[in-house]
Amino acid sequence: MRVMIADDAVLFREGLARVLLAGGIEVAAQVGDAEQLLARVRADPPAAVVVDIHMPPTHTREGLEAAQRIRADHPQVGVLVLSQYVEPHHAVQLLQDGAGGVGYLLKDRVADVNEVVDAVRRVAAGGSVIDPEVVAQLVGRRRTRDPIQELTERERQVLALMAEGRSNQAIGERLFLSPKTVEAHVHSIFTRLDLRAAPDDHRRILAVLAFLRA
Amino acid sequence: MRWLRPALALAALAAGLVNLTLIARAGDAQPRSLLYLVIAIVGVSWSFVAVGLVAWSRRPDNHTGALMVAVGLAYALPGLRLVHSPAGYTLYLLTATLPSAVLAHLIAVFPDGRATSRLQRVFIVANYATTVPLAFAQLLLVDPRRLRCPECPPDLLGTGGQHPFGEAVMAVSDLWDVVLAGLLLWIVVSRWRRAPAPRRRGLAPVVQVAVVLLVLFGVRQALRAVLSPPPPWLDGALDLAVLTTLMLWPLAFLAGLARSRLDRLAVGDLAIELEQAPSPDRLQQALARALHDPTVQLAYWLPGQQAFVDEAARPVELPPAGGGRSVTILRHDGDTVAALVHDAALDDEPELVQAVAATARLTIENQRLQAEVRAQLEEVRASRARIVEFGDAERRRVERNLHDGAQQRLVNLSLALGIARSQVPAGADGELAAALDEAAEELRLAIAELRELARGIYPVILSEAGLGPALASLAERSPIPATVAAAPADRLPAKIEETAYYVASEALANAAKHARATAVTISARRCDRGLEVEVGDDGVGGANPDGSGLRGLADRVAALDGHLRVDSPTGRGTRITAELPCGS
Repeated sequence: MRVMIADDAVLFREGLARVLLAGGIEVAAQVGDAEQLLARVRADPPAAVVVDIHMPPTHTREGLEAAQRIRADHPQVGVLVLSQYVEPHHAVQLLQDGAGGVGYLLKDRVADVNEVVDAVRRVAAGGSVIDPEVVAQLVGRRRTRDPIQELTERERQVLALMAEGRSNQAIGERLFLSPKTVEAHVHSIFTRLDLRAAPDDHRRILAVLAFLRA
Repeated sequence: MRWLRPALALAALAAGLVNLTLIARAGDAQPRSLLYLVIAIVGVSWSFVAVGLVAWSRRPDNHTGALMVAVGLAYALPGLRLVHSPAGYTLYLLTATLPSAVLAHLIAVFPDGRATSRLQRVFIVANYATTVPLAFAQLLLVDPRRLRCPECPPDLLGTGGQHPFGEAVMAVSDLWDVVLAGLLLWIVVSRWRRAPAPRRRGLAPVVQVAVVLLVLFGVRQALRAVLSPPPPWLDGALDLAVLTTLMLWPLAFLAGLARSRLDRLAVGDLAIELEQAPSPDRLQQALARALHDPTVQLAYWLPGQQAFVDEAARPVELPPAGGGRSVTILRHDGDTVAALVHDAALDDEPELVQAVAATARLTIENQRLQAEVRAQLEEVRASRARIVEFGDAERRRVERNLHDGAQQRLVNLSLALGIARSQVPAGADGELAAALDEAAEELRLAIAELRELARGIYPVILSEAGLGPALASLAERSPIPATVAAAPADRLPAKIEETAYYVASEALANAAKHARATAVTISARRCDRGLEVEVGDDGVGGANPDGSGLRGLADRVAALDGHLRVDSPTGRGTRITAELPCGS
């Protein structure tokens, strides 16, 4: 699998490239800004790109906008956006644009080699990835009337993993549950939170995030 | 020369008395019309001397008074005609043109008392240089008895016979008088036209009399030249008309003075007007009315800035001396309070200007203090805005430095640590793997703490995505349930967004810390003036608006010319509302 990395911090992108390489992922290009990234993607679309949200020249939304452009122009290219801040707003914005294949990860998450490689593979495969920290902030949010408090501990774990973009199978593997048990939990959660069942993983994550942010 | 003026007065009195004695003695020896003329001339003489002395004492530096006295004394000379001897008559003829020459000089330079233009100087020189020699020539060439005065005695210089050029010389002399009168009329009228409004008031009576006088004089001389001689009744009537008008001249002068005095009395009206504590605008209008100068401008002195300013605290440049504009500095206890910039014509009436200034001084000083306070307020407002802006810029800078510096380095470090951890062979050295995992966890916590710290200094999402997402993010992190009821979808100026955000953030922190609230609602709505941010909670209320947090918020909001309201009745929650004008 081939990916491209865009980050203006050279040391970081070198390190990231090594991590990905160690995870069996070929890094086809390392660039320092959004313009170069777009050019490289146009020339030879990779399976996925890893983009820092802050890049020159203004260090505000360049990475985010590049990610959205790539999702629009090359739907087959997965996009993983890295940020130093926990901002659900950006995560939801990314997800809302397409039908999966996007991820929003905290930058320091790359310390866990397995996690970053897993995230890249998931977006490349058209899945969605939301950083556990972001999900934790949303789930932990104080609510006046909080239906989440009515969920069981196990259901809350399943809810968080759904919000991170995990499939039922992945949730089962993580929590050592059978697929049938996971499905039962999911059904129970949707009923208790008064959510309509989603036809696919992408719409499921959107529905869950919308509920958590409301 | 303190004795000079009394001496001149006495001389004029004596000359007049001599003239009157001569009339009494003349009896039937002279024609009655001549006697009337001399009586009129005595009247002219005395009135010019009397009024001239008054003007002289009032304005010693202005030669108008002295010139008037000179005219008055000159008009005592024609009485010599009554001395029935050739010597007296000769002297009369020699000096006959002097009174009108001096009078022409006076009219030409009135009211300045000296020539101020080339035309005036040329006129005065031509006037003296021609009238006296022409009179002398007449004396040599013409026997007046033949022409105008059959009963007069012979003059000493006369040839006794009629010189062939005699009549021509007389006609030329009379026509020259007409030319001079016309020139003088031109001088008087053009000066009137150029005179600014305040000066016209004083000039008007004198100018009107002078115009009538010059016209009558011109007509008389023209008739003499053309008809040579005109019928005695016509000539006599014109003589009398000229002299009567001439007597009016000092009266007109007095009327002009009285008008200025009345103006000073009218300062009382100004005092009444000032009772109403007028606005700076109306004060200026009232001053313009009292001084009869619509161009009056009031400039307040700001000691702090060492500068004059107008009522809107804009700097005022005082005009240079001698440019048609004049400046009167108003003082109180020796300190400069203000400056009145007015038409230079008002320099003729320092009493009026001083009276107006004294009357308006308290009001002006009041206005000056107000202008000073306004200027200081403006300065304070600007400096407060600068302080807030500087603080915000500093926050952005610190956040950016953390983001690009420490945070990035720690992320690099955790990446390096991750790589190192991945190179530990599985199941090889359990201790090393455990130590690396521990270090990675510690580092993760450090990065998380730094992230929160940086976010507290400046939330990047505010500049990245605007007020709405930033408020949503604030609510998501709030330790008590918070919802964003409304937020503008579009972007606003950065300082408005920042202030609105800090208002919400501080209010939310207060609600969490002190209010024991269970729910908070944040809303930010566009309103007529700009943006209204409201944060309401259901806590215990009783928030102290002068507490350091709220006080700081109020200052920050005021720096944008906004208002902060804190509504916090005990037991009924707290509502903090900030109105932020977007125009600033």
